[in-house]
Amino acid sequence: MAYEKPLPQPNADTRPFWDGCKEHQLRFQKCRDCGHVRWPPSIICPRCYSSEVEWMVASGEGKVYTFVVYHYAYHKAFENDLPYITAIVELEEGPHILTNIVGCSSDEVRCDMPVKVAWEDVTEEFSLPKFKPAQND
Amino acid sequence: MGLKDKYAIVGVGYTPQGRVPGRTALSFYVEACANAIKDAGLGRQDIDGLICYRHFQPASGEREVTPYVVAQQLGLAPKYLSQEANCARSQLHHALGVLEAGLCNYVVVAYADNALSSDRIPDETNPENSVFGQFGYPASYAMAARRAMHTFHTGPETWKMIAVGQRQWASLNPLAMMRDRPLTFENYYSSKWVVEPFRVSDCCLVSDGGRAYIVTSVERARDLSHQPAVIIGIGQHNPSSYIDQSTYMAGPTGAKIAGEMALKMAGINLEDIDACEIYDCFTYTVEVTLQDYGFFGLGEGQDWFKYGTITPGGRLPVNTSGGLLSEAYFMGLTPLTEAAMQLMGRCGDRQLGAKTNTKEPEIILCSDNGATLQTHSCTILRRF
Repeated sequence: MAYEKPLPQPNADTRPFWDGCKEHQLRFQKCRDCGHVRWPPSIICPRCYSSEVEWMVASGEGKVYTFVVYHYAYHKAFENDLPYITAIVELEEGPHILTNIVGCSSDEVRCDMPVKVAWEDVTEEFSLPKFKPAQND
Repeated sequence: MGLKDKYAIVGVGYTPQGRVPGRTALSFYVEACANAIKDAGLGRQDIDGLICYRHFQPASGEREVTPYVVAQQLGLAPKYLSQEANCARSQLHHALGVLEAGLCNYVVVAYADNALSSDRIPDETNPENSVFGQFGYPASYAMAARRAMHTFHTGPETWKMIAVGQRQWASLNPLAMMRDRPLTFENYYSSKWVVEPFRVSDCCLVSDGGRAYIVTSVERARDLSHQPAVIIGIGQHNPSSYIDQSTYMAGPTGAKIAGEMALKMAGINLEDIDACEIYDCFTYTVEVTLQDYGFFGLGEGQDWFKYGTITPGGRLPVNTSGGLLSEAYFMGLTPLTEAAMQLMGRCGDRQLGAKTNTKEPEIILCSDNGATLQTHSCTILRRF
């Protein structure tokens, strides 16, 4: 069946991130001058304004900063997933990213719970970084 | 500081509100502005500034509402026009700036929409987020509220007192959308989840209608229809980060610094405040805002709200029109115009003072915030 949920719309800033996801790598910009790892991508470092940058690969480990549980589908394609969890994960390297928590029920999720990336290949072109409880291995 | 006691709100414009089908957003803007101008005892030739809040995507067949179109329909040719694009809450600051600079004498500030009855579905979604099924403001504020539940002692036990307290005020307001819909703690818990931890009763209304006010100098206000509501303090602080990246979900939000600025300008303390009109897009917003202003310590809201603190008869009334939760949604104009009307003594059955067994209002503090706690504006008004 065709994938009916919204897909990423990479732009000049975010394309390297989504290209990385396709290879199951979480890529972030790291400032070559001050070492700050940033998300979302930007032309300069928001801390020191340096434009010297490299892309690094994050470990995929982090913890749940916060989360919510959807009981109502704002988009038809998510109806079958109800109730589903969206979360902000604080990665070990610093950035916060918005994602889904999978592999556990909404009653089991907690703030600060350790999680690790769980890749979902949704189309030929795109893989989504979702997260699952770290102890589920 | 220089702006204290120099400027005042001198007129408020209402429109039919709630579910009002068959009207364009523009028509509500025009009606709200015209009513504010008439309410102040002014004519269109007097108005030389017009400032609009942002406008969401227009409904099908309607054009985007811009301030020059509103001006055209009001027969105005203002010396200052502006519109905020995406949830910065600087409208009053702009108005005071052009008044203080001598560019204008009477400025109208307005917001209107036909959000409830039109076919428009607001699309505020970041494409990176919709991929994961994250849509809209209830979810992003719920993210903040969940983090607050983790960081300090809060949750539905606190928020229910905000939802119920404001509904009690709405029951006294003939214009309130929820006037005839009493809310008990039990009803609160049985109201449906929207995005957990928020229930329907935690979320603001979607409304048709508009609201506007007129601001001018206290000197000019003396010649107008009503006793003016005098601006004694303003402050603004904008932490700016997208909520996804923010670390201030559980506070301090922009309210902390904005509140300190406004109190300092006014030369008063929190003890001098008789009531608050707080931007209440969600119940949690009211809690974190009052907490960041310093009315109670971190996580002490649950005790502070107890025993009807904010309700009719309470010691610090909050959102006396019913607010965005129970009156109607007109951005920061719902709270600010209610403060002005209370200080003018024009609030009928919900009037602060003997009628509602509350303090006679001398000073009211108002807030307005935008996006997901990214922008914040605080305004303190006093009776003339």
